[in-house]
Amino acid sequence: MRIEAEHSAGPSLFKPLVFALLLVFFLAATGYEAISAGIDYSLIVGVFATRFLGIFVEAAPFLLLGSITAGLIEAFVKADDIWRFVPRNRLAATVMGAFLGLAFPVCECGVVPVTRRLFNKGLPVSLGIAFLLGAPFMNPIVFASTYIAFGFGPVFIGRIVITILVAVTVGLVIGSFAKPAATLKPLAQEQDHAHDHHAPSATRAKLLHALQIAADEFFEMGRFLILGSALAALMQTLVPQESLLALGTGSVLSVLFMQVLAYILSVCSTVDSFLALAFVNTFTTGAIVSFLSFGPMVDIKSTLMFTGVFRPRIVVYLILLPFMLNLLAGVLLNLALGY
Amino acid sequence: MTAISDHSHDKSPQSDRIAWAKTAILLGMGVYFFLLILTGKITYYINMRFAWLVVVGAAIFIVLALVNMYSNLKEADEDCHEHYQIGWDILLIVALPLLLALLIPSRSLGIEAVNGGISLNPVGVAGPSAFQRSPLDRNILDWLREFDRASSPAAFNGTAADVIGFVYREPSFADDSFMISRFTMSCCVADAFPIGMPVSGPGASDFATGAWARVQGELKAADFGGDIMPVLFADTIEAVDEPQQPYLYP
Repeated sequence: MRIEAEHSAGPSLFKPLVFALLLVFFLAATGYEAISAGIDYSLIVGVFATRFLGIFVEAAPFLLLGSITAGLIEAFVKADDIWRFVPRNRLAATVMGAFLGLAFPVCECGVVPVTRRLFNKGLPVSLGIAFLLGAPFMNPIVFASTYIAFGFGPVFIGRIVITILVAVTVGLVIGSFAKPAATLKPLAQEQDHAHDHHAPSATRAKLLHALQIAADEFFEMGRFLILGSALAALMQTLVPQESLLALGTGSVLSVLFMQVLAYILSVCSTVDSFLALAFVNTFTTGAIVSFLSFGPMVDIKSTLMFTGVFRPRIVVYLILLPFMLNLLAGVLLNLALGY
Repeated sequence: MTAISDHSHDKSPQSDRIAWAKTAILLGMGVYFFLLILTGKITYYINMRFAWLVVVGAAIFIVLALVNMYSNLKEADEDCHEHYQIGWDILLIVALPLLLALLIPSRSLGIEAVNGGISLNPVGVAGPSAFQRSPLDRNILDWLREFDRASSPAAFNGTAADVIGFVYREPSFADDSFMISRFTMSCCVADAFPIGMPVSGPGASDFATGAWARVQGELKAADFGGDIMPVLFADTIEAVDEPQQPYLYP
């Protein structure tokens, strides 16, 4: 029986997450009830439902498009086709890694297995890491959702610039000391994809296969979207705006808070823009941009996928470096914008 | 729960039920998305600019449901099973939007969603100017934008206004005043933000907080909560139904 490392990591995180959500719900609900005894409780539930469904309805089409892309890649693209074009120069290769998502439109959920295959083809570590961190944002679907949510402005541009800078920097840093063999867990190095050995060959069958994968992907990733939407809607409904404002206006604190939130929410990069919108009215622009650039790189679910593929030391670097670099970028952006 | 099945050829009724539950959820989502469009309730949730996305989503859901159905039937014959086995807990989470949509009557954000006061400032000030619109056609957002641009609160003294919104009050408001309010929405309800303009008039106290009303009157700079600002002095206030599109789009 073959089990993919990145998937076997899933269950252990999921139940605690559900539990945490229920706990937050309970605490917030009791707290709120104590404060506003005069307000009809069913109305509050109604407000929550409207917010939750609004986020979900707006985000679901993007998750579906991402799922279909993942299915099509799995069914139609051979990794070897792309690898022939990798430049020799390390910096050039790393920068290419950060942009490779444009050719492989995967979100952070699909990027870990693809990266592992990159390494197994003997590609530079720096390229693979830059791809791992950059690809979840650097793809047309995420560009579209970010553009629809924020238009062409500081958030959109900031997200692109910071994502590329952080992905290339972390790629170069980790690439400077680690060889592929020292990066991956031994278990992950020679593992074929469980689907490979009887993947269909005819185009029609491949298409059907791609759509089946897309449906599985929707359930696999949709639960993170739905829990994330619920948490965001709960916060908006139950936490008074003043408390959010208190957290959201400090030029450092707001960035820190949004990055931790991005880590906890673990929402797919194709839809995180719509969650970030919930905080636009209360949080600094730097915090919003850091939420959007850090979230797709590292969160609860990608950490678990990392631990299934990379050695522990690399996992620590993969979490801490992007966290600190994004924090720095967000704070600098805030200072530049005058918060 | 998310491990890949081991290609064993025994098909338990349990995994069969899960496979069909997935199909049902996908189908249900597609139908729900289509119903949102057909009933017009989509306006409660997202900016109508993006309604086409919901149609795209609905279509993909239906296609995935059909593919799922097809493979369920095919696998029953061929006994070839090779995708993720997910558990009931995941199914339950993914079904949550459908459950909420079924159990809780859908409604737009209103007074009870106001969490910490109504803003007198237009969100996203850099909107198109409403000057080319005649004053009587301007909505609350248009007016707030004009107030924001104006050199002084008295700039609109004597101008007639005619706006629709819901009634918002704070304990500090005078008995004959309230704020006529709307939620603005750029993208979806996640960014909904309440804005409002002060109203004063003898009939104001007759209207319950949260009720929808149409206010016609004249603007005049006056003291409201300690600041001088343009206040709408009402000639008539009438009760109206919630508009077809409850939110204002910046």
